[in-house]
Amino acid sequence: MTQTRQYELVYIVSPDASEQTIAELHTQVEQIVHRFNGTLDKTENWGRRKLAYEIGKAREGTYVVETISGAGELMKEIDRRLRVTDAVIRHLIVRVDDDLRVADRRRSERKATQARRRTARGLPPEPLPSERRGDRDVMDSDDMSLEPEVQR
Amino acid sequence: MSGERSGGRGRGGKKDDKDKNKGERPRGGFFRRRRVCKFCADKIDYINYKDVRLLTPFIPERGKIQPRRISGTCAKHQRALQTAISRARQLALIPYVTE
Repeated sequence: MTQTRQYELVYIVSPDASEQTIAELHTQVEQIVHRFNGTLDKTENWGRRKLAYEIGKAREGTYVVETISGAGELMKEIDRRLRVTDAVIRHLIVRVDDDLRVADRRRSERKATQARRRTARGLPPEPLPSERRGDRDVMDSDDMSLEPEVQR
Repeated sequence: MSGERSGGRGRGGKKDDKDKNKGERPRGGFFRRRRVCKFCADKIDYINYKDVRLLTPFIPERGKIQPRRISGTCAKHQRALQTAISRARQLALIPYVTE
């Protein structure tokens, strides 16, 4: 019995590759996921980005992020496949379910503590937008890309 | 009053610490500010390795990871930051070294 876990797969496609190749790679990944009874939760294409350093001869690449739920064997197979694919210049698989769960728990704990303290003080459990401190605004914009990750 | 005290003990303890350090500041001549962990202050639970904007403040020009004693990050978040930075490096989002 294999456990279902959530993984994040990021791969960088070589800048010489066409749009079609990128689409093909995506369907390839999708097929492997289906073959191993996993699910492809989310796909994000960041488009072309400059690399922080050269990989081989490439100075830029197309980033694709896929969120996959499935067994470890599935990710092993994807890893193997991407390793032998020339169009992919770099890839990374990270298991995220534990980290997200911890983050989620911390967030709800904090919310509960806040609500408890606020009701003890006779305030409504949720802070009003007008109560927020000024520095929160700056941070909120910073947080944008992070927010959907944690909420899942 | 006592009820209120017990409710906020955890946070109150921390605040006392901060005040103590603040008081130390002018002593010794040079300016050193005890910094608060950014991730604790901003309540960032998950340090996302894909979020370059979050990580760059902790990477000085040379490309190394800023030590805790300078950035003021707490031990827990510095560990998480370490892994996030090394993942971002593998993905060429952040340089390993910059000359």
